[in-house]
Amino acid sequence: MSVSNLLENWSKFRHTHPVDDKGHPDWEAYPSDIKWAMSIDLDACTGCNACSVACYAENNLPVVGKEKYSHGQAMHWMRIERYWDESAGVGEFDADKGARFLPMMCQQCEAAPCETVCPVGATNHTEDGLNSQIYNRCIGSRYCSANCPYKVRYFNWYNYPEQEKVWPEPLNQQLNPDLTVRTKGVMEKCTFCKQRTYTARNNAKTEGRPVQDSDVQTACQEACPVGAITFGNLFNPESQVAKQWKSQQVELTKEVQDKDEKEGNRLRGYRILEELRPYPSVMYLERVRESAV
Amino acid sequence: MQHILRLFILLVGLFAGAGSYAADAAPKLTTPDDLGPQIEQPIEFPHFRHAGDAKDGGMQINCMYCHTYARRSMVAGIPPVQKCIGCHQSIESVRDKPRIQKLFEYWDAKKPIPWKKVHDLPDFVRFNHERHIQRFYFQQDRPYQEVCGYCHGNVKAMTVAQRQKPLTMGWCASCHQKDHPVSANSTETGHGPNDCFTCHK
Repeated sequence: MSVSNLLENWSKFRHTHPVDDKGHPDWEAYPSDIKWAMSIDLDACTGCNACSVACYAENNLPVVGKEKYSHGQAMHWMRIERYWDESAGVGEFDADKGARFLPMMCQQCEAAPCETVCPVGATNHTEDGLNSQIYNRCIGSRYCSANCPYKVRYFNWYNYPEQEKVWPEPLNQQLNPDLTVRTKGVMEKCTFCKQRTYTARNNAKTEGRPVQDSDVQTACQEACPVGAITFGNLFNPESQVAKQWKSQQVELTKEVQDKDEKEGNRLRGYRILEELRPYPSVMYLERVRESAV
Repeated sequence: MQHILRLFILLVGLFAGAGSYAADAAPKLTTPDDLGPQIEQPIEFPHFRHAGDAKDGGMQINCMYCHTYARRSMVAGIPPVQKCIGCHQSIESVRDKPRIQKLFEYWDAKKPIPWKKVHDLPDFVRFNHERHIQRFYFQQDRPYQEVCGYCHGNVKAMTVAQRQKPLTMGWCASCHQKDHPVSANSTETGHGPNDCFTCHK
């Protein structure tokens, strides 16, 4: 593949934009039978941050320290957002009630706002429904981060491995060899543990069968002590994640979910910022309990 | 002298390259750098003796007898000393050859042989041996020398393995863009993945 090829087949590398004439991406022409998706049960989530820690370990994320964190330079692909109950008034919250937690990572949008703005095509859509981030291609313009409604793209402001020495000997021994150690000037983000999904697809292909739920777990899912995170192939009706999406009547292709709620059967599934029409691949299950404690 | 030596290496490489099966897929080797670093290995392993054709005095051992993992893993694997000894302990005729004596020195010292990597890809690239072997060796039933030779060149004629192919992205893509039959008896064709994310990690 050359640059000329990239330019000639631009539409293949760029997914249809939601404000296109069609109004929605071309779902019939989906190039593969895999669409990775997730669902997160906020009622189960206790905000313990185990997912975040697991992500740091799995994906070679640098721990930037207090000062850089306060500058907004943290590299947490998976972060826990806190929302306080402000019913008593703006700025006043009842700390005893505790916070509401929301694990936030790249939503792997089907019509991703980040993809359309990259000047060099470093982020584009893969066959299995991920927003790829190609580190060698990235020139660090940071447009994608500016255009991301979820603010889940993280920029390497420093040369963490060499200059910042975030992994001094022997900590560098724990770096995951299945991933690049990113350097200064490139954007990065959650990949749905691509190294794991890749291995799962590879093994399934060798055995000549479709990918099953038991083949792959993301690092955050594996670490979650309450099993709040479900991950799998949305196109496989037998997968746990597809069943959950279906039972919650959340459809990938719709930005307004028409839900048929029976009495006493309130559906909890929703996707964040659906109205912007990025068609995210992560469904959240609303919290029903009153307090965190 | 240096120049003449380089030219000689280049010419040898060119002829060896022309003889390899995938020569038409590879762009011409134009610089000495494309031959890869002239790596000195701890033992001058004679690939031609082990894997070469019988008419050239080779044993015609399948590449995957020693590089076992190629068919079931990302990496092909370098055999442990145990594997060498497994055969060589019962081959008395070559026991006093200097290379074999060196081999037994490592074995007696219980030390691994510090082989050096010849086909080294950058850290941001994922090359999967298993997928290529499965596709071309098991599904299409092509000879293993040919399949391994697509990327490794004519190793069965080499002593110490040397890089014959450029192993650049454009070179990978030149093959991935081609239509290959999906199995030995099929007219259906397909080409390799063209997704950046498949190879770039």
